[in-house]
Parts: sequence; C-alpha cells; structure tokens
Amino acid sequence: MLDRRDFLKSCLLKGGALSIAALPTWQTAFASMTQGSELYVSAFSRQDKTLERSYYLGVFDAQGKMLWESKLLNRAHAPVVHPVHSIVGIIARRPGYYMDFFELTSGERLKRIAPLKDHHFYGHAIFNKTGDRLISQENHYTSGKGRIVIRSWPDAEVIAEYDSNGIGPHESVLMDENTLVIANGGLKTHPDHDRDILNLETMAPNVTYLSLDTGSVVHSVDNGKGKHQLSIRHLDVNAQGVVALGFQYKGEKWDEVPLVGISNLNSSSIEYLPMPEQIRLRFKQYCGSVCFDKSGQILAVSSPRGGLVAYWNMQDHSFLGADNCRDVCGVSQTDRPGVLMLTGGTGKQWISDPIKSNIYQINQHVGISWDNHLEKINPRRFS
Amino acid sequence: MRFSQQKNMQSYILKASMTASLVLSTSVYAQDWKSTLAGVKDGQILPSYQAFSNSGEKLSKSIDALCLSPSSTALSTSKDLFAKNVDDWQKIQWLNFGPVTYFMRYYAFQYWPDKKGVTQRQLRSLKKDPDSMDQPKFWKSASIAVRGLTAIESLLYRKDFDPVAKPADCHLLKSIAQHHAETTQSVYTQWTNSTVSDWVYLEEGSSESAEKLAMEQVIQQWLEHMSVVKDAKLETPIGYKGKAKPKFAEFYRSSLSLDSMRTNLESYQALYHSGNPSLFAVALEQNPENANALDEQLIKNQELVNDLPSQYFSKTLSQEQKVELARPLVASISQSQKLLTKVVTNLGFQIGFNSRDGD
Repeated sequence: MLDRRDFLKSCLLKGGALSIAALPTWQTAFASMTQGSELYVSAFSRQDKTLERSYYLGVFDAQGKMLWESKLLNRAHAPVVHPVHSIVGIIARRPGYYMDFFELTSGERLKRIAPLKDHHFYGHAIFNKTGDRLISQENHYTSGKGRIVIRSWPDAEVIAEYDSNGIGPHESVLMDENTLVIANGGLKTHPDHDRDILNLETMAPNVTYLSLDTGSVVHSVDNGKGKHQLSIRHLDVNAQGVVALGFQYKGEKWDEVPLVGISNLNSSSIEYLPMPEQIRLRFKQYCGSVCFDKSGQILAVSSPRGGLVAYWNMQDHSFLGADNCRDVCGVSQTDRPGVLMLTGGTGKQWISDPIKSNIYQINQHVGISWDNHLEKINPRRFS
Repeated sequence: MRFSQQKNMQSYILKASMTASLVLSTSVYAQDWKSTLAGVKDGQILPSYQAFSNSGEKLSKSIDALCLSPSSTALSTSKDLFAKNVDDWQKIQWLNFGPVTYFMRYYAFQYWPDKKGVTQRQLRSLKKDPDSMDQPKFWKSASIAVRGLTAIESLLYRKDFDPVAKPADCHLLKSIAQHHAETTQSVYTQWTNSTVSDWVYLEEGSSESAEKLAMEQVIQQWLEHMSVVKDAKLETPIGYKGKAKPKFAEFYRSSLSLDSMRTNLESYQALYHSGNPSLFAVALEQNPENANALDEQLIKNQELVNDLPSQYFSKTLSQEQKVELARPLVASISQSQKLLTKVVTNLGFQIGFNSRDGD
C-alpha cells in the first residue's frame, strides 16, 4: 500500500493534471506547519570545525524559527515558491546543475531538474501565476548566449526556449501573465573557467521585457555608454509595473557609478535612484537582493559587502535611509505593508520598518549562514 | 643571518614572551577584544600612518627644493624619498577602513591599477594650466587619479615629464606632493583622535561589542589584502593565469613592485603579533597548532618573496620563468588565507559569507 510520501512522489513522477490536483495546497501546508500566516524560505549553510560547509534549504516562520530543512547537493542561490501547491524549489548557484523541488507537508524531495545539454542555471527561476510553467534562466555556455527555458510543471518537459536578448540572464520576474522582465547581467562565463568573467571589456547588460507567448522582445533598456560594466543582476516589480534594478559594478572600485535604478515598459532609459554618497560608497559597487514591500511603495536593496540595506520611497523616489546589518543579503516582503524581513550570513533574521526607522533582530541561528536570497510564501496571495 | 632565520628567531622570541602572559590574555579575551584592538591601533595603525605622514612631508619638502633649484641630484633625492613614502604606505595598505575611506582617500593615495592611463591623461591636461592647481577650490573637485603616489611616480619617472627641465612639470609635482602630504597628515590626525571601534557601523540592538566588530573588520581587511597581493600584485602582472600585464604591476615605473610586496608580507606578521594579548597569543591558547601554522606560513611568505630575484618584475625573465618562480609564493599566500580564516573562525569571528562570495 502506498504511504503519503510514495503517493506524492508517484503523483509528480507521473505528472498530469489529475496528479497535480492531488497535491496539497499551501493552506494545507500552513495548517500543518504553523499557527501563523507567514513562512519564509531560503538556502543556508552550516560550517563545521574544519570550516567545511554543507548546504541546505530551510523554511522558517515569522519569529525566525526553523520549521523544516533539507540538505542540498551543493551551494544554492535563490528559492522558488509554487503559487498553489505546497512546493518550494531551490536553484543551484551559478554555474548550477540542479533545481530541487520539495513538497512541504511530507518534507520529501519530489523532483530534481537538470539544465539542458551544454547549459547551466544562473541560480534563479520562477513559476508562472497558475503554476503550470517553470521559467529558468540558463547559460548556453558553448555559445555564451542567455536562454529563457520554459518547462511544463510538474513533468518538466521543455516547451519553449527563448533567447534572453543578452548574455548572463541572472534573475527574472513576471510583470504580468505574459511579460517576463529579465536582468541580463552581461557577464560571459564558462564552466571551464569557474566564475571568471570572459568579456569584461565588451559586456553589455540590459533589462529585457520578453513576451512569454512568442519569445519576442517587447522592450529593452540598458545603462548607456560608459556604463557597460554596470551588471544588472537582480530585480523586482511592483503592482504599478515599476521594475527596480540592483547593479554590480565590474569596473574600478573607485568609479562613481549608480547602483540602483528603475525602469518600466515605456521607459527609454533607466532612472537612477538617489542616495547619499557615503551610502553609495558603503555599497562597495555591489547590490545583493532587490525587493519591494507588500505595498510596492517601499524598495529595499541589500549590500552584503557594505553590511547594509538601503530603502527608497517609490512615491517620490526619495532615499529613506539604511539599516546596518552585517553580511546581510536576503530581503523579503512580509504581510505588513512597509515592513521587510532580512537575513544575513551571521545567521540573523531581522524585521525592518524603514518608514519608522525601526529594525530589530527576531532570531539568530548559531552556526548558520543564510544564503543570498529570501522568499516569502504567501498563501493569501495565491488562494 | 639569513632573513628567514632572523624571522624565525623573532617569531620564537615572540612566542616565548607571549606564552608567559597567556593566563592574563585569556581573561582579557574572554571579555572583549579591547586590548588587542588598542594594540593594533597603537602598534600598527597609528605608527604606520605617522610614518606615512612624516615621509610624505619630507617628500613634499624635497620636491619644493627640487623646483626651487632643479638638478639631477635634487631629483634623485626626491626619488629616494618617494620610495620611502611608498614603503610606509605599503605597511598600512592592508587597511581600507576608517578615515582613509572618506573622500576615497584610500584610492587617492594610490590610483592603481590605472588600467586606462587616466593619471597620465589628466596630468597632461593639467600641465597646460598648472596654475589652476593653486586655486583654493581645485582639490575639492580634483580627480583621485592626480592626488597621490601614482601621479607623483608618473611625474618623477615617466620620460614625457621632466621636472628638472620643465617648470610646469615641477609645478604639478609640487602641488600634488603638497596635497598628498596634507592628506596623509589628515588621516593620521583622525586616527589620533579616534579608536578603531569609532569607525564601525553597529547593528541596532546588537549584543556584540564594538571592539569585537572592529577587530572583525581589521581581520576582513587583512584577508582581502592577501588576495590583492596574490592576485593583483603578483598573478596579474606576470600572467599567472593568462596574458601577462606588466604595466598592471604596482609602482613598476619606479621598480618598487617587489619591495612593496615584501613590505606587505612583513606587515601581516607584525599585525598578527600586535597588542597584548595579540591575535596570535589568543589563537595560541585556543588552538596552538593552527596559531603556529599561521605564524609559520606568514614567515614562509616572507622567505619566499625574498627568494625572488631583485629584477623579478623586469623583462629579464620570461613569463614562464616568472610563473614558475611565483608558484610557491602563490600557494603560500593561499594557505595563509585559509589558515587565517580557520584561526579567526575558531575564535568566534564571522568574517563574511555573502559579503565575500555573492553572485
């Protein structure tokens, strides 16, 4: 007789509409995991006494308490959350060769997806709004071309493969059901050369708005002449269609370059958000995560190198301030407008309310380093 | 006495003296890192910036004299004082933290590697109107490429500048050297009036002491600088992993590339032994094997850099020869990084996960 775990596995392995319908929803998972309404997911690592690290995916609640974890093959980058069913995924860090998916009521790994032949993952992927498509950014490393690969879910059959309109598509977000916004970071890499940048002089990052129906480029903007080394890496989009962009500059440490910008479907160029020069210097030319709060009116951008998270008010694009958080990178919205959850490599989790200039630590997991990106699981949003 | 023997003896003496005070060290360490940090400041940061400021002042005065009475002898004197000032800079170059970060003074002290020849271009432009540098507002907006040692080196050593024969060139040199001396003095003064922990950005509500976080910053700076020495100073110019880029070598015009690395590697061991208790002493008590392994590795770095021929960065050696000669030193610096990471992690420092390796 099949137990629950076997049943779930067989559902996914067989694929198909009926088996998908049989999977638990987030409401079921929340009821079994927490009394609260908020769950968060992030990759993390543990370091032993010999300084060797092992890598995990973890789910924690609004108090920062770890509720579930599972060991991973190696270091991962960003989590992905299914919109309907209680499934979280994690994408291997660049150059990545796996995406693992877990069903949270059973805690079991249900699926591992490999990249296409001669491709690797960039560390980020997303589901479409109905959850029957999985969209990932991949590097066709023999040509260096960026690819957007769309797979059916859960059988993971590749149903479309598009040019990303650039090199190094790192993260993408959905602006609407048919428009994917891609941060083409511009960095050409090859697994034979680890993470070395092979096109530093010629890199050409851009933000591309891509039609998921046809794969055609709807719109594209870049940083313009003189800023070709300003790699566009992470992004988020709010309900008003504003796309926030975080850059990582690959030029000189002393160059005065903008590090945060915004764009939209109609913008002819990227608008750079202001910040005090002393804060800009503290960023050390590097943005980590980019995230809007629940209202879409507050933008948060982390800089692990600077040990800070900076905030902007999207109503007037003004700089709000910054929180000092060592080794911080993960940023996620919470259920409360204006309030964000932050995670860092020191194992700390913070709640920040930049409008009230209030930040407090909710927990610290000793021996754990939260990895780059944090995602909130929100059942209300998906119900 | 060979350099390595001398260093081993120094290390032995240090170990012996530190072992005697370990009982005291433990209690101090258990509370916070205040004493160690104060030792780092008083033993390394402050004297290094003081020496840098003093030699910067001497360099500036010598250039004043050169411009008043131009001669090859005066030029030679200025070059010697320039080398001294560079050497003093190398002793504290590992620290890109605190007052030196304000107004990008760290990069103004040394605009390197100047991959696009910005310093040269801007100096040529300034040469057309050197009097503009005498305006009070000039230094408020001047490029960091023409503020410090890189610009001074160009003016002293490049063939297209001649401060002995061309007053305009000397005018440039004099203005820059004076500004450089004032800046070194300013950084030194700011360190005199502050503690290391004053320069740390504290987390709201954090229970960690400012001193521990400041010590963590010091260690992070040290670790990052090890990468600079290995990658930017050694591997890149000689083409360790690809095409050689000899003009990316540090202070190659004045042939100070090797001396600079030598001083850097000496400064690491001095830093490890600064303070009472020093980081070494605390580590020795916590894990003698790791503490000594790091100490020995730091000594080995110095031995290996001294084994390189004096003309190592010149054209006399082929790329293959340079790479072969560099292998032991590259491996030793890498091992030093691993050991330092191990030592400080075991002491409870969190030296960065996302900040050191993101994507």
